[in-house]
Amino acid sequence: MRFLITVGTLIFAAAIFLIVVPRWTHPPIPAIQMGPPPTSMIQFGRGQLNEPVSQNLLPVLPPPSAGGPSATAAYHNVKVLTDVSAAEFMRLQEAMTRWVSPRKGCDFCHAGKDYASDAKPEKHVARLMLAMTRHINADWKQHVKEQGVTCYTCHRGKPVPAEVWYPSIPRPKHGIAAKQENWREVADNVKKFFPDDSLDLYLLGEEPIAAQSRTALPSGTVAEQIVVKRIYEMMMEMSEGIGVNCGYCHNSRALMSWYQGTPYRWDGYWGIELTRDLNRNYLLQVPGILPQKRELVHETAWPVLPDRESGPLAGNGLVLCATCHEARPQPLDGASELGAYPGLTGPAPAGGNHS
Amino acid sequence: MAQFHSLFTAIELEGPLEPGLPLRWSRHRRIGGAFHSRLLGRIGESQVGPTYLGWPGIISLICGFIAIEIIGLNMWASVNWNILRFIKMLPFLAVEPPPARYGLWPFPPLREGGWWLMAGFFLTVSILAWWVRMYNRARALKMGTQIPWAFASAIWLYLVLGFFRPLAMGSWSEAPPFGVVAHLNWTATFSVRYGNLYYDPFHMLSIVFLYGSTMLFCMHAGTILALARFGGERETHEIADRGTAMERGAIFWRWTMGFNANFESIHRWVWWFAVLCTLTGGIGILITGTLVDNWFLWGVRHGIAPHYPQVPGLPSSLPHGYAQPPSIGAP
Repeated sequence: MRFLITVGTLIFAAAIFLIVVPRWTHPPIPAIQMGPPPTSMIQFGRGQLNEPVSQNLLPVLPPPSAGGPSATAAYHNVKVLTDVSAAEFMRLQEAMTRWVSPRKGCDFCHAGKDYASDAKPEKHVARLMLAMTRHINADWKQHVKEQGVTCYTCHRGKPVPAEVWYPSIPRPKHGIAAKQENWREVADNVKKFFPDDSLDLYLLGEEPIAAQSRTALPSGTVAEQIVVKRIYEMMMEMSEGIGVNCGYCHNSRALMSWYQGTPYRWDGYWGIELTRDLNRNYLLQVPGILPQKRELVHETAWPVLPDRESGPLAGNGLVLCATCHEARPQPLDGASELGAYPGLTGPAPAGGNHS
Repeated sequence: MAQFHSLFTAIELEGPLEPGLPLRWSRHRRIGGAFHSRLLGRIGESQVGPTYLGWPGIISLICGFIAIEIIGLNMWASVNWNILRFIKMLPFLAVEPPPARYGLWPFPPLREGGWWLMAGFFLTVSILAWWVRMYNRARALKMGTQIPWAFASAIWLYLVLGFFRPLAMGSWSEAPPFGVVAHLNWTATFSVRYGNLYYDPFHMLSIVFLYGSTMLFCMHAGTILALARFGGERETHEIADRGTAMERGAIFWRWTMGFNANFESIHRWVWWFAVLCTLTGGIGILITGTLVDNWFLWGVRHGIAPHYPQVPGLPSSLPHGYAQPPSIGAP
């Protein structure tokens, strides 16, 4: 009897632990089918899980009075927003402050009362980011469509967006035993522990993402196991980052076939190309302008951490799908305020779009 | 109220300790004394020991210890000998096989798969020596050898994954790593890499035998437990001398599914299902990448999987290299 009571108590305690401690979702799990079968499989929603960031837009500022002088005429040292009026210029400045640095306000980028001064490196980064935003809205319509992006799409009220990644340093090549992979150490599900090495390859480098054979019988086109592992990690990052299942883009087991994917896969393709463009041509410049000690979002690989912190890429957060999407197929559920801020759409280049 | 006692009641038999049969060559090879355990008696026999080790057992334990040491120390070294991080990261630590550029070269650098090869070698020796030990013990007791052969079927799958298939593919890098999450990721990516193993007919068979053996075992164990009140636990006796227990069990299955195994054949059913699970699974792995590169396309070609229509909405201009549809014909 005593035995039964002991065992029963232990089982009861274990059951209570399992019910109370993990975050559970319970039915009904939201499920939608994006199109008629067989062109679309079912997508499952997040259930009752907390939102990682706010998914609501901030209120749009009242429109500026028409006319008036241009920004370049009214203010000194205007380098990016040269094609808007002074009123619209100020309005956009105010919106940017709310989007990016609501706490520190104007002082986050500006040195004291001299708003024309370039003393703070944050201002240079802000110019770079503004140019990047205009570039995205003008040249990357394949991915961002009419919704476009504003500063808020990624920043959501924080100077550094919630979801960024850091290039991993190569695993040390000395010693007789291999060092561990750069697993993340804080995560709320198994997938998030995965190392970021795949992002180096596919969101910064130009590695093609191709794994499967296009023929049933051997033709020597299957990628190496380690390559498939990296692609798998990358695909899981995408899936998690935009909050969809594999079936959102891949419609059959022939994952490689563009003819058996859904049209959304093309958005994903352009998304990868866009992310590569942003990381290489914009975000890699940030540490040169604004050297900062990197904030450790996850205490990665303690033995090699000093190297990662002091390396040439220290402090250099890069973007990935989740940076804008925050676990939604469309960032902010498709809500757009781009039309209210024409200064964020740069002139389209003469050469047409990237393809 | 009278209580009916069968072998399945909670009575623990505790008498003089049984030393077991005399050994062939010597009386002094069994390890440790025997004793009764009240706790183990609740889930099985209460007598624990003595154990017979023998040379195969000694070799197996030593080699197994070496293999576990290599794996464990490598994992510990990979976190710079930090014991806390070793415990914290243990599920994610791994000993990886050599990269593909070393092919089947047996002496890659230690940090690039050399340790993996050594650990694999010692683990394999350990498992094979343990098989010899099981076979010897079965023969020594004048038993049949069904148990070692069933174990051999599992060893077959192990050897296919880590030895035969890498040999056929010409590279150690094809083998799975040692490590908890590492080998799970390997399994998932291996399936994706070859167009999803679900379309591999031997994988299908393996799954049938896997789930089939659990179901058959549950049917059998449930039947015998349910018949214990009629003496059904004396099942092998009732093979020849049918009692009411056997008859009732048989009627139960005839009523519910029209057919019944008998008290002998059910054990053959279960044994073969279990053995064929790993046997067919090993075949399925062995022909993946060697005979078939994409199981989904193979399935389409042979009418197992549907050929999906091209979905609407493709961009008019495909990027270079993406315009090629998959081929279900010969490569």
